[in-house]
Amino acid sequence: MTQAIIFTNDNGGVSVCIPTGELPINEVLSKDAPAGAIIVDDSTLPQGADSSFFDAWELSGSTVTVNFEKAKAIKLAQFNAKAVEEAQKRQLNTLAGIDNAVSDADFTASLTAGRASIASATTTAELVAI
Amino acid sequence: MAGTIVADTIQDGAGNSTAMDNAIYGSAKAYVNYNGTGTPAINGSYNVSSVTRSGTGIYIVNFTNAMSDAKYAVAITGGCYLSVLGGFLGEYTTSSTTPNQRSTTSVGMFFQSGTSGAGQDNCTASLVVYR
Repeated sequence: MTQAIIFTNDNGGVSVCIPTGELPINEVLSKDAPAGAIIVDDSTLPQGADSSFFDAWELSGSTVTVNFEKAKAIKLAQFNAKAVEEAQKRQLNTLAGIDNAVSDADFTASLTAGRASIASATTTAELVAI
Repeated sequence: MAGTIVADTIQDGAGNSTAMDNAIYGSAKAYVNYNGTGTPAINGSYNVSSVTRSGTGIYIVNFTNAMSDAKYAVAITGGCYLSVLGGFLGEYTTSSTTPNQRSTTSVGMFFQSGTSGAGQDNCTASLVVYR
């Protein structure tokens, strides 16, 4: 069982302070955390998928919850970043295909394939999993 | 028994010697190694009382015994792929001039994704302080 010190930080989120063991946790509580911080068992903190929404955590009493609206914004930002990355990769592949075209037919085929590839960028397994 | 040894140089049995300054200023004044994927899991430390996760990719390292001043040097590494992807790992700052959290009692670490620019947690994060 690992104990953690938690408190609401300046951004309205939750900070989680983990002692290294060099000092007793009560000493760490008074030295490294602001007034109002509390000690909890870390198993009471959001686990699994909810742990990836750390910036959406909010502290109410001694309970940490995930703010749904903040979590949605985090997920959308993750999706957008991945989508842009994937589209850029496909755009480069398309340009390479066009560059290597040796005929009008090759050129048109590369362009058509490239358009389709970029348009379907958000259907990759990686993005579908987000 | 507590006490103080005053010397300008130290020497081993083979006659190899070094200035005492090398021992004093050449030894790390603090270090910590932790897994920062989620709630920090501490792997080892010296003169670090705790690690606080303040945001995704943002960690505050608190010293057990305060530094003499805040003019220390910090080395930060991350075991994940951030630098390979053009990410950033270094001292936490939101200002072009002032590193946040740098004080005699704590220093901040920040890990940033090279693709999204957002904070990103890092496995096997390490920090070493020299002063």
